[in-house]
Amino acid sequence: MVPYLNGYLYVVLFLLLGIALPVGALYLLGPLLRPNKPSAAKLSTYESGIEPVGEAQTRYNVRYYLFALLFVVFDVETLFLVPWAVSFKALGGFGLIEVFIFIFFLFIGLIYAWNKKVLEWK
Amino acid sequence: MNFLGYLITGQFVAFFILALIVIASAILMLNFNKVMYMALAIGGVFVGVAGIFFLLNAEFIGIAQVLIYAGAITILMLFAIMLTHEKDGESNSKGWIHETASFVFVAILLAGLMYGIRTSTINWSPASDEPSAWPVGQNVEAVAASLFQTYTIPFEVVSVLLIVALVGAVVLARKEE
Repeated sequence: MVPYLNGYLYVVLFLLLGIALPVGALYLLGPLLRPNKPSAAKLSTYESGIEPVGEAQTRYNVRYYLFALLFVVFDVETLFLVPWAVSFKALGGFGLIEVFIFIFFLFIGLIYAWNKKVLEWK
Repeated sequence: MNFLGYLITGQFVAFFILALIVIASAILMLNFNKVMYMALAIGGVFVGVAGIFFLLNAEFIGIAQVLIYAGAITILMLFAIMLTHEKDGESNSKGWIHETASFVFVAILLAGLMYGIRTSTINWSPASDEPSAWPVGQNVEAVAASLFQTYTIPFEVVSVLLIVALVGAVVLARKEE
C-alpha cells in the first residue's frame, strides 16, 4: 500500500512548485528585477484600458445562476458516466441500457430547460 | 521512526497536514465577516477532505469531491452570494461573556466525548488483513460494479433526482425574474 501512495509524492511536488512559482516570481525575484516607480494610475483597477466604472460587487443577473445550476446537474451526470466508461466491457449490454435510461431522463430535463428558454439570452 | 509511541509514516504526516487544512479552513469560514471569503474558505475544507479521500485510496470519491464540491458547489455558492448579497455582514463578535461561555461549553463537550471514547466497551472488529476483492488503484471499477450491478434502481432514481433539482431551479429563478 505504501509504494502505491508514494506515487502521490509527485502530486505534492507539483503542488509545492505551483505555490512556489508565483510566490517566488512576485515577492522574491520580482522586487529585485523590476524598477519601483509607484503612481496613482498604476494602483487603479484594470478594466481593459478603460476608466473603471462603478463597483466590483454588483448584483448579478439571475441567469448566471441558472447556467451554474445547469452546469452542476450535468457535472454530476458526467461523474456517474465515468465509472461506466472505465469498466464498459465488464458491464456489457445491460450497463449500456442502464446508462441510456439515465441519459434519457436527463435529456428530458435539458429539453424542459430549453423549452423554458433558460438557454436563451435576451 | 517512532514518536511518543506512534509510528511516524508519510501517511501519518500527510493526514495531519490535511486535517490541519480542513480544521483551519472550517474555523476561518466561521470567523470571516465577508460572505465571499466564507464561501472560499469552505472550498478549502472541500479540498482538504478530497485529500483525505486520496489518502484512504479512494481516488474516485476524491476526484468526485474535487469536481463536484470544490468545483461546482463552491462556484454555485459564490453565484448565489453575488445574486443576493447587498452589504457585507457586520462584525459577529459577541463580547467576552459569549466567547467564554462557548469555550467552557466546548471544553465540557470535548471532555465528555473523550471520556465516552476511552471508556467505551464496543467491540470494533479489527481491520482485516485479507485483500479486498478489488486491488488498490481499481476503485473506479469497484464503484462501477456496485453502481451498475448491485444498485441499479437507486442509480436510475438519481437521474430523476437530478431532474427535480433542475426543474426546481428553473421554476424558482423564473419566479424571481
